[in-house]
Amino acid sequence: MDPAPPPLSSLLPRELVAELLDLARSGGATFADVFGEHAVLTGFALDESRLKTASHSVLQGVGVRAIRGEQTGYAYADGFAPDALREAARVAARIAREAPPAATGATGAPRAFRVADAPAPFELRDPATLALDEAAKVSLLRRADDAARSHDPRVREVSASFSTSAREFLVANSDGDWAEDRTHLSRLVVSALALESEQRQEAFATAGGCVEGAYYASERTPEAVALEAASGAVLLLGAREPEAGSYPVVVCNGWGGVMVHECFGHSMEGDTVRKQTSIRAGQLGQAVAAPGVTIVDSGLVPWSRGSFRVDDEGTPAQRTVLVRDGILVGYLWDRLNATLTGHRPTGNGRRASYRDYPLCRMTNTWIEPGSHSPDALIGEVKRGLYCKKLGGGSVNPADGNFSFQVTEAWQIEDGRLTHPVRNATLAGNGNDAMLRIDGVGSDLAIDGTTGSCGKDGQWKPVGVGQPTVRFTGITVGGTAL
Amino acid sequence: VSGAARHASPAELLASCERALERAHAHGAEQADACAEGSRAFTVRVHGGAVDTLKQSGTLGLGVRAIVGGAVGFASGTDLSPAGLDDLARRAVALARFATPDEANGVPDAAAAGTPAPADLGLHDPAAVELSPDRKIEMALELERLARAADPRVTRVDGASVSSAGGAFATANSRGVARGWEGTSVSAWVVALAADRDGRQQTGVEGMSVRRLADLAPLERMASQAAKRAVDRIGARPVPSARVPVVMHPDVAGAWISEMAEAWSGESVLKRSSWLTGKLGETIASPLVTLVDDGTLPRRVGSSPCDGEGVRTRRNVLVDRGRLAMFLYDHYHARRAGTASTGNGLRGWASTPGIGTHNLYLEPGGESPEAILRRVDRGFYYDDQGSFGFNPVTGDYSFQAQGYWIERGERVHPVDGVTVAGNSLDMLRAIAAVGDDLAWKSSIAAPTLLISEMTVSGS
Repeated sequence: MDPAPPPLSSLLPRELVAELLDLARSGGATFADVFGEHAVLTGFALDESRLKTASHSVLQGVGVRAIRGEQTGYAYADGFAPDALREAARVAARIAREAPPAATGATGAPRAFRVADAPAPFELRDPATLALDEAAKVSLLRRADDAARSHDPRVREVSASFSTSAREFLVANSDGDWAEDRTHLSRLVVSALALESEQRQEAFATAGGCVEGAYYASERTPEAVALEAASGAVLLLGAREPEAGSYPVVVCNGWGGVMVHECFGHSMEGDTVRKQTSIRAGQLGQAVAAPGVTIVDSGLVPWSRGSFRVDDEGTPAQRTVLVRDGILVGYLWDRLNATLTGHRPTGNGRRASYRDYPLCRMTNTWIEPGSHSPDALIGEVKRGLYCKKLGGGSVNPADGNFSFQVTEAWQIEDGRLTHPVRNATLAGNGNDAMLRIDGVGSDLAIDGTTGSCGKDGQWKPVGVGQPTVRFTGITVGGTAL
Repeated sequence: VSGAARHASPAELLASCERALERAHAHGAEQADACAEGSRAFTVRVHGGAVDTLKQSGTLGLGVRAIVGGAVGFASGTDLSPAGLDDLARRAVALARFATPDEANGVPDAAAAGTPAPADLGLHDPAAVELSPDRKIEMALELERLARAADPRVTRVDGASVSSAGGAFATANSRGVARGWEGTSVSAWVVALAADRDGRQQTGVEGMSVRRLADLAPLERMASQAAKRAVDRIGARPVPSARVPVVMHPDVAGAWISEMAEAWSGESVLKRSSWLTGKLGETIASPLVTLVDDGTLPRRVGSSPCDGEGVRTRRNVLVDRGRLAMFLYDHYHARRAGTASTGNGLRGWASTPGIGTHNLYLEPGGESPEAILRRVDRGFYYDDQGSFGFNPVTGDYSFQAQGYWIERGERVHPVDGVTVAGNSLDMLRAIAAVGDDLAWKSSIAAPTLLISEMTVSGS
């Protein structure tokens, strides 16, 4: 094991941070912040039963942001050399020169910083990033490889990877706020390729999140992940093509919540609300989802990839209700967009790294449980589709068009699951998707393992969740008519 | 160092690579290579007639791949001081102990790498470097203003952006290969929004990324394209499910060939995870189809004199008039397959090489897009899509789609809320016309295509 790097607060002493904040506002900016980060990323990949990749990367540096009115200037430097940081601060400050005259901002660096004292949302005693050494990670991969291959002779190829990210950051701003946090993420991904005559199918499964080392020994073993991937691939060999058309769709709990993330969550992010490019701008108090549907975003979910103590602007994580019983009651806010619209930041200011300025982003987003039994939601459908595993999804927040890849689905006939279906794509419009919900199950699960969300080229880990949910009239893409 | 007035030169990067190699050997590596990048970029985004964000980026990073006992370790970082490079080399060597020895691991020698392309590829444009922040702000504001002015039904512009970047890349290995080069890029994007019924809005996106400022399309054309796309969609509605001919707009055709590219990866073929496994030499597409990956095209975004392992780039014909002609390889998978690298070992400073494409394109045919449209009696003109819907193992294709319904060779009304599905092998064979309208907006390009039958799923 390597010695721990020096703490960020010694690489970025308070006097230097105060000087950078001053420099960043030297052109007339009304607000500035400094974000320092040290991240260690490791990756091990077993492929064709060979450990092909063993990698280690360090990302470290400082980003400086200057804001005047609605305008942001941003620059960063790799590393912590004070002269490079001063240059970054001067570049960020130049934004103010481009801006029209605005009210004069306060000048002078804060004399004292207030340190954010938000409690940790959960206690991570022995994070997997530190608990597992190289040999332990390789052992997890070998076990997954063995388990997947021995599941079925039709499993002909297996890839398994284990990656970790240990990230420490410090953020301070010209209002005098100072916050530090660290996150420890790890993830095991297993994919299995099944072959049978001319057929080939692949399936994958994941484990991990903001978890302890013991998680991989008890909660989610490599054998369990491998079995899920291998049995999924073999199942797809016998699956049929989906029927094209628009009909009832029941979406699984847990990762199925990627639908609410894409179809609804993105349009609730404060930047598009402030700029009124989101269809949700101005819909506060209106019915945007079916009665009984409550939608929440919270950075406090234990063990999830989407959780943290403070966001990347230093705002403590919180729980925000977006929709209560179908009615839009609140939006997500980062600091800039909250300030410009007279709201309070909700702990949703997030950035991919010190190389990026913060954007308004979701954390863990889910639909609260309802009263239906999951079996009844399926049992009431005469002809429809049950989506058991979803792949990726996307939305255009301005026009609302969304789509999802369904990697494993089942045909519903007369209330029963009759046969597996592959390659279904769900399509629709976010304007009315949440209004098309006609049944919410009681089986809420939050997936804090899988999600990575992309926005403006920045990728952030997120959690998504929901109970089993039924939609009426979703377009299902397929080749069978 | 970022914050400085310019990015690192290829010679400076090569010197860092050589030092990293020397340290890797000192720590016990038998073979090693290093890859370094230095770049600077400046991005302007405007909104509502004013600057929204200005961002300056500067990257300087290096990765070391060390081979010890036939096994590979890799480390990367941004500290290029002598101590930082020594630390990277030490870590890469230490990590190799955990990897599996494999006789195919290694770095190419000078003969395998080939002589670098002698011709100037025109990848570096002084005008792009000199494009000032003020000028970029002017351009972005102009792009936004023109998009709004193009049509009264454009109610908002969801941002316009202009950025420029310059960078250098170097790679060197312990068998004497050392290559470095410089390049620039300029890009511009605009998103127009048009109000539709029931509070809905429609979007129109247009933009491109080029090596040289002079290759950027006129701002007026980009703005009017974005506006036209948004307003033409007003009133879009689903159509009933049907199997019909589909006309693919070049953007959609390009996205399809980009999704398919992995099937040509020698790695996927070795692992039998490609739907083209076992089909080399067979007819897999209509005779109208010639698919090429070429890293030597002058001025193109995906061009470079060599790949990330220092191997000279070249023109690779993947499909020759319908026949599957070859697969793509980096050095490792070429050795596994008993062949030579095709110059497709792509990498950035923070990753090991992986098989990828340079400039991937479908060669244009002889028909105009208008003539292709006139051939369709009843079908779907497909010009925008969702992001997820391709299965790289089976080639199955199923995307959320937007476009227009076609009757008797004319676009009769805009369509959304549908999907378009098929299997790539069936689609390749069903290509009935290839347009003459190949245009480059990125490193992937295709002309208009007519596919004789796909399934449109709708109401």
